[in-house]
Amino acid sequence: MSNDDPRDKPTISLDRHSPRYRLEFESLATEFHARCPVAWNDTHGGYWFANGNKELFDLARRADLLSNENDVDGTGRGYQGISIPSQSDQANRTRGGFLEMDPPDQRYYRQALNPYLSPAAVERWKPVIDELTRACLDEKIETGRIDFVDDLANIVPAVFTLAMLGMPLKDWDVYCEPVHAAVYTPPGTPDHARVIQLQMRMGMHMMEVMQGIRERPRPGLINELVTLKLGDRTPDDTEIAGVIMLIIGGGFDTTTALTAHSLEWLSEHPGERERLSRERDTLLDSATEEFLRFYTPAQGDGRTITQDCEVNGTEFREGERLWLSWAMANRDAKVFEDPHTIHLDRKGNRHSSFGLGIHRCIGSNVARAVFKSMLTAVLDRMPDFVCDPDGAVHYDTTGVINGMKHLPATFTPGKRLGAGLDETLERMQRICDEQRLAEPVTVRKARAKLRD
Amino acid sequence: MKVRVDPEVCQGHTLCAMNAPDLFALRDEDGHAYAVDEEVPAGKEDLARDAARTCPEQAIVLS
Ligand code: SF4
Repeated sequence: MSNDDPRDKPTISLDRHSPRYRLEFESLATEFHARCPVAWNDTHGGYWFANGNKELFDLARRADLLSNENDVDGTGRGYQGISIPSQSDQANRTRGGFLEMDPPDQRYYRQALNPYLSPAAVERWKPVIDELTRACLDEKIETGRIDFVDDLANIVPAVFTLAMLGMPLKDWDVYCEPVHAAVYTPPGTPDHARVIQLQMRMGMHMMEVMQGIRERPRPGLINELVTLKLGDRTPDDTEIAGVIMLIIGGGFDTTTALTAHSLEWLSEHPGERERLSRERDTLLDSATEEFLRFYTPAQGDGRTITQDCEVNGTEFREGERLWLSWAMANRDAKVFEDPHTIHLDRKGNRHSSFGLGIHRCIGSNVARAVFKSMLTAVLDRMPDFVCDPDGAVHYDTTGVINGMKHLPATFTPGKRLGAGLDETLERMQRICDEQRLAEPVTVRKARAKLRD
Repeated sequence: MKVRVDPEVCQGHTLCAMNAPDLFALRDEDGHAYAVDEEVPAGKEDLARDAARTCPEQAIVLS
């Protein structure tokens, strides 16, 4: 605390990108909840760190006091968006779609995209999601070995996200690696240059697809974006690219992270795994929410305070940065009994893993559907899987995404049920095109039909 | 007991309908919730309370 600041600020010093954050997460959460549920964190230039459940709840929903704005072109208030620390390359920083905008623009986007992502909209896709999962498992089922990240949880969310966007399914690998690797390959690491290359290829591909859809419309989120009016304004290509990247980034890494962690836990708790499989009619929903709470794939989000104010006794000043720690709020014993333990049948589980307030994750229904498809298929077809702890690789830093790079496992081999991945992608592409599956639910209500 | 979803507060987390599908339905276009019936059927009061407790936005109003 500096001398010219008369405020009473309980201060902590926690680098969210340090091993300490990952390794001592539970004891830190318990300590902060008791001592400083809203703390001033003096790392990364200093910012507020909201970690208590009630305190986070009372702050996150105050759209009147918080901004998500990332003022990339200097036309706004100079705020830095949702990343803390801010993007390192300030001259070339990019806006993370409508997650780094405030209303009314943010609201225009959400209203336009909701009919593609609502529970009813996602339900139509279920046969396609299950078929993609089936094909991924069939690629490995006869060998008795699988990497749950590389061979399953990286692929299904990626392919399905492209399907909703209206992108060619076969191009999923143009996006998959750069998106995942970008999260765990910071500047200065040996692999960084290669990841930048992959990102440039991805960017070019995206611009080409966007241009193609402008010329020859095909249903999907991209078509919605290139025809969208925001009040009296039309977004340019850079802005739309930011939104597409937000959808891709949100759709890929988080669901992968959730699935990998859940499978790892189930491998370590075979009794619970059997119970979940047996009682899935009653347990699958609550288990899914509990895995979401416990692992919190997106650990938190940054905001900027828009006016001097006081909330629950903490004095905030305009321009100060705030981190909403969904992850720590999810472990607050005042709301969650026995918070550091997974209870598959937990009741009243109002976790904040999808965020709270007007920026609540727009893809939550997609995440749940894709996760449940992968999880139940693994329980059915590889019921005795054992993850290899020596091969499992967690992200070095979990300050943003609590993810995994690899999760190899072995299981008793089984029989293939159908075609491999490439052939399945071709068939799903035909079905997407013929049935115009990527239309919004307001245009097309019927479920996908895989066979006549 | 009466139940209603405050449309200004609901953000479509869908947990109410997951917990109490008889009491809450979700709009097709945006997944935001509404009460199937303003009057909670007899015997379902606990379910309504559970759902209200589970809503992350605390958007469910019981009276
Ligand atoms: S749980 Fe709450 S926020 Fe979610 S749909 Fe129901 S009322 Fe809306």
